Parts: sequence; C-alpha cells; structure tokens
Amino acid sequence: MADAAQHLAFMAAQTAVARGEIALVSPEMPLRANLSVLDNIALIPQYRTNLTYDEAADQAWGLLVTAGYQDSHTKRDPDLSHAERCVAKLLRAVIGQPPIILIDRPAMLLPDTHYPPFLFALLEKLAEHLNNCEIVDYQWNQPLYDARHPPSIIE
Amino acid sequence: MAFVTHFFIRRGAAFLTTWRIWRDTLLFAGRAVLTACAPTAYNSATRTVVMKQIYFTAWQILPGFTLFAALLSYVLIQIVVTTAAKFGLSDYALEVTMRLLVLELLPLITALFVALRSSSAINTEIALMKINGEIEALESACVDTMRLEFMPRVIGGMISVLALTAVTSVLALVLAYLAVYGWQTWSLPDFSRVMGKVFDNAVLFGILLKSLTFGLAVTVIPVAEGMATPRKLFMAPISVLRGMVRLFFALMLIEVASLAFKYI
Amino acid sequence: MNRPTSTPPIKNLELKVGVLLVSTVLLAAGFVLYSLYARGAFHRTQSLTLIAPEAEGVSIGMPMTFSGFPIGEVKRMELGEDGKVRLEIAIPTKDARWLRENSVFTLEKSLVGGAKIKAHTANLADKPLAAGAARTLITGDATQEIPVLIERVKTILNNVADMTGKESHINQTLANIQNVTGRMTGEYGVMEGVLGGPEKAHQVVAALEKANTLLASLNGVSLKVDGVLAKTDSRVFGPEGVMDQAHQSIAKVNGILGDARESLKKADALLANAQSASADLPKITGNVRAATADMTQLRTEIDDSVRKVNHLINEMNKKWPFAREVEITTP
Repeated sequence: MADAAQHLAFMAAQTAVARGEIALVSPEMPLRANLSVLDNIALIPQYRTNLTYDEAADQAWGLLVTAGYQDSHTKRDPDLSHAERCVAKLLRAVIGQPPIILIDRPAMLLPDTHYPPFLFALLEKLAEHLNNCEIVDYQWNQPLYDARHPPSIIE
Repeated sequence: MAFVTHFFIRRGAAFLTTWRIWRDTLLFAGRAVLTACAPTAYNSATRTVVMKQIYFTAWQILPGFTLFAALLSYVLIQIVVTTAAKFGLSDYALEVTMRLLVLELLPLITALFVALRSSSAINTEIALMKINGEIEALESACVDTMRLEFMPRVIGGMISVLALTAVTSVLALVLAYLAVYGWQTWSLPDFSRVMGKVFDNAVLFGILLKSLTFGLAVTVIPVAEGMATPRKLFMAPISVLRGMVRLFFALMLIEVASLAFKYI
Repeated sequence: MNRPTSTPPIKNLELKVGVLLVSTVLLAAGFVLYSLYARGAFHRTQSLTLIAPEAEGVSIGMPMTFSGFPIGEVKRMELGEDGKVRLEIAIPTKDARWLRENSVFTLEKSLVGGAKIKAHTANLADKPLAAGAARTLITGDATQEIPVLIERVKTILNNVADMTGKESHINQTLANIQNVTGRMTGEYGVMEGVLGGPEKAHQVVAALEKANTLLASLNGVSLKVDGVLAKTDSRVFGPEGVMDQAHQSIAKVNGILGDARESLKKADALLANAQSASADLPKITGNVRAATADMTQLRTEIDDSVRKVNHLINEMNKKWPFAREVEITTP
C-alpha cells in the first residue's frame, strides 16, 4: 500500500511539474549548456509570457542582482562554480513564479558548502519572488540543518 | 534450430529498430512542419535560434561555398559545351548544362555540404543535450523543446538550403550564359528560349520541392537521431554516425526519386 | 543597477540574416519571373497551323527557325480526321513579321539530332501572314533516301563483281590473249630463218610487241577496274551510272579483242607454216614470196587492232574520272 501511495504521489508531482505548478531545482536538471546564465534564466519568461528578449533579460538581471550573483551573468554552465550553478538553477525556477519550488537533494548541488545556511540566506534575499519553497533531502543530512529551518521532506 | 531462431530474432529486432527510427523521423518531421506553420510558435527566443541557425548554416559558408560552386559549375559547363561542340550538338549544350547543374547537381551538392557541416553539428548537439538531460530540464521548466530547439533548426536548415541553392543556381546560370555566348548581351533572347524550354511550371515546382525536402532531411534526421540516443555518453559518436549514414541514404533517395519522377 | 548591454557574440545577426533572406526571396522570385517571361507568359503570340503528312521527331516545345533563329515553337500537335498531323505553332507577335503570305515551311530530319521546322520567306515585301493561318509542312527527309541509295549501290557492286569474276568476259578474253602471245614468244629465230631476212622478221616481231604492249595496257585496264572496285567499296556515294558505261566499254573491248585474236590466230597459222617449213628447207624459197604478202596483210590488221584498242582506252580514260593517263604509242 505504501508503494502505491508513493507511486501516486510521484505521479501527481510529475503532473504538477508538467503543468508548471512545481519548479524543480535538481542536479538532474542541468542548465542549457550553450546559453549564458542570464539567457538561461530569461528563456523562461520568453516562453511562458512571450516577452521580448530585453524584457526577459531585465527580469533575469533583476533576480541575479537580488541574489548577489550578477557577476556570473555571462558565464556558461561549464565555467560556473557549484554555488553559481545552483543559484542559476534556483533563479530559473523562481522567475516562472510557480506555486511550489522543490530544491532536490541540495547536497549534490552544493557538495563543498555547508548548504543549509547558504540556501536559507539565498531564499531570504529572494523572499518577495517566492511562493513556497521546499527542500528535499536525505534523512542522514538532517543534522546539517538548523532547528529553525528543517528540510521539508525527508526521504 | 536454436541458432536459426536466434538469427531470426536478431534480424527482426534490427528491422524493428530501423523501422522505428524512420517512423519517428517522419513523425517528427510532420510535427516540426506543423509547429512551424503555427504563428504562435514563434517568440523572441525561437526567432533568435532560427536566425542563429541560418547564420551558422548559410551565412558563414556563403562566400566559400559560392566560390566552390562557381568553380565546379564553370568546369562542368566547359566540359559539356566542348563535348557537345565536338559531336555537333552545340544547340543542346545550354539545355544540358541547365538540367545538369540547376536541376540536379547544385541542390544535391548544397544539401550534402550542409549535411556535412551543420547536420553533424546538430546531431552531436542534440545527442549531448539528450545525454546530459538538458532536454528534460527544459521540458520540466515548461519550455517546449520542439519550439525552442528543434523546429527553429528545421526552419533554419530549410531556409539555408533554399538560400544556398538559389544563390549558386543563379550564379551557375550566369556562368552558363558567359561560357556559351561570351561577354555580350545580344544572345539573351536565345538564352531565354532555352530557359523557357527547361523551366516549366512542373520543373520550377520540382526544384522548390526538392530543395525543401533536402532542407527538411538535413535537419530532421540528425535531430530525430539525436533524440533517440540512449542517455549514455559513449552513445554520442554512435548516434552521429547513424544519423549521418541515414541522412546520406535519405538524400540519395530523394535525388533518385526526383530523377525517376522527371525522366521515367 | 542596470543590466550591462554586452556585445552579442554575433555582430549584426539580424541584419545579416535579413540580407540573406531578402536576397534569396529576390533571387527566387526573379528566377520564377524570368522563366515565366522566357516561356512567353508576358508576350502575345499568334498561332499558325502547319499540316504535315507525318510528324515523326516533332515534339511539343520544338522551335521553328527562320534563317537559323527561333521565332516560334510547337504548342500543340494532333492527328487530324484526314490522318494528317496538325501542328499548332505559337509565334510571338514581334517575330511574326518574318512570315509572309507566301512563306514556305519545311520539316527537315537528319541522321544525328532532332527534326527541324524551318520557315522560308522569299519576299519580305509580301502581305504578312494572317494570325491563325494554316499551311502545309513540306517534309524532306535525308534518312528516307538512304535505303534507296544503298539498293542502287548494291546493283553497281554486283555488276562490278560480274565483270571481274573468274567466269567474266574480260577475264576470259585476257586469258585467251595470254595463250596466244605465249605461243608467239620464243619463235623469233625460226621466223627470221623462215622469212629469209631480219627486217621482215623484225616487222612481225614489232607487230607482236605492239600486241604485247596492248596486252599490258589491257592488264592496266583490268587493274583499274580492280581499283575502281576498291574505290566504289570505300565511297558508296560516287557518281552513279559510270559503271554501266564502263560495262558497255568493256563489251566493246571484248569485240575489239576478238578482232585482235583473229589477227593473232592468223599470225599463229603463219608461224605454224613457218615451223613446218623449217623442216623442209628447199620448199621455203618458193613459199617466201607468199609468206611476205601474208605478213604485210597481217601487219596492217594488227596495226588496225592496236589503233582501235588505243582509242577505246582513251575513251575509257575519259569516262573514268579516277584513271591515270595511259597511252599506247605505235612504234
């Protein structure tokens, strides 16, 4: 029964992702390799709301500045540090303003950072652009988290 | 007995694989063309990709390829004209030249050149995107990869093949005139008469259709092959290899079909 | 903080692609328009119907030329109720001025290449040809005459073969002459003895020599016949009828050679007499006078024959254009 329930939940999550209700920040969802960070983020409003490139790029630039990572805007995926890549992925999710953002296994996104404080600081800065952001992590990583900000879902 | 069964199973599997990839290619071609026909499919990002595709496929190679095509055309025209003169068939030299170059050779060479240069690049890129999971990532971010990545390449490829064919064909006609009549304009009526004889409506439509089919093949096949790549890095070269072989086969098939349609 | 406007990786991308697209469209449109113009979509034409007994080698779109310049093309062709072919020719109005009321239209076919429809106008001052006029198409076909020509050449070759065959008259005649002269040579000493003096014998011998020369010329004639045969083989299109004349001439040669044979037979008989005489020397003196009288007559006869043959050879030389100068001179 547990399996069936899990499966249903997974299916529901998939459907939600497909509808754009959940945006994923995941190690398995790479950035588009031949576009710069700025273009990767701007791509979403270009598609979703048919913005011109300049409008979309301005939005993306605004987010990058808010996050404090504007210096990386011209870099492409292979040149990014883990933190920069993670921020770019997060902002790509944020700019679409989905009801839920899932940050999937951040340990894999930020292998050489004490990531919970880093992430929560980042989310703090972006708070006004966020609806609901959840962090999905393994149970054994729970000690890394502050008691005030536990991970949302433990696998 | 087991050997025979095994043999048939293997053959059958191979056949099914081939059949599936061709079917997927055709389905993809249909979807790409349908998408391209919908005006809503175009947004600022798509337009940029289309323009970049045309830039990389046509603009970058235009000077070099035009020069090469001019050289090839001139040599072939000279061969045809001299040979025809030797057999006393000079009247037919111009017509033969036009048919040989403009109807058959230049579209095919253009398609082959674009295939060699851009199709291999497209195939590699799509295969790597597929292996990396970039396509899934885009899809999950609600970006329609058909509109962002595939359809613009198809449109760009078709327009590029058309543009290169048009430029080289017109150049070949000018060269043919110069080779047959020399540097003067009095023979234009004569030239026009042969033009009128060769390029009737069916032939004009045939060139357009052939160039478009070539353009479709040089983009659709590598994209479909790239999409069909399993998500393993070592499959990338195999994917490009298969895509190129299938593309060559498809181009030849189109050429033979057009020849058969015209002359049989 | 404003977004820094970084220079795009490709300069003037839009402009370059725009230029390419516009030039492609212009080239394609120009190409289509030009081919439409070239097909005559933009100029008015008038039609002319040509009626031909047959239209093999004619196809739609074939040009009609005037003085080697195309002035119209076949638009339609159909088989009429009367079994004749009706070719509809479209002529651009500006080119119609070359066609007049009395213009003649021909269909020419050659061995290599297609058929050609040609228009000929003798007098450009005549009334112009009305639009929609119908004319007959005159067909002249070089290829159709070839079988007839080959038949004729075959007959000529048969005649030549008959003339030069083993059983032919000319060969038999030559064989006869050879026999006769064979018998004549080598009898000089006897003749001298019989005739009683070298002078008379010399006369006879000279006459015989003349006959020999004649034979050599005749051999030459037969060689010439052989040469003509070779030439006829290689050039089948030589002037016709020469062979027939040659045949007649050779019949004449036969006649004259018959005469010559008669004369030589007489000489033969004379020599036979001389031979028998040598055995019986005392009788010789009595016979000598008669013999000399015979000898004179013989010489006249042989001379006559030689003259006739000489004349004949000259005549043949005149008739056969490829013969060399041959002359038989009387000593």
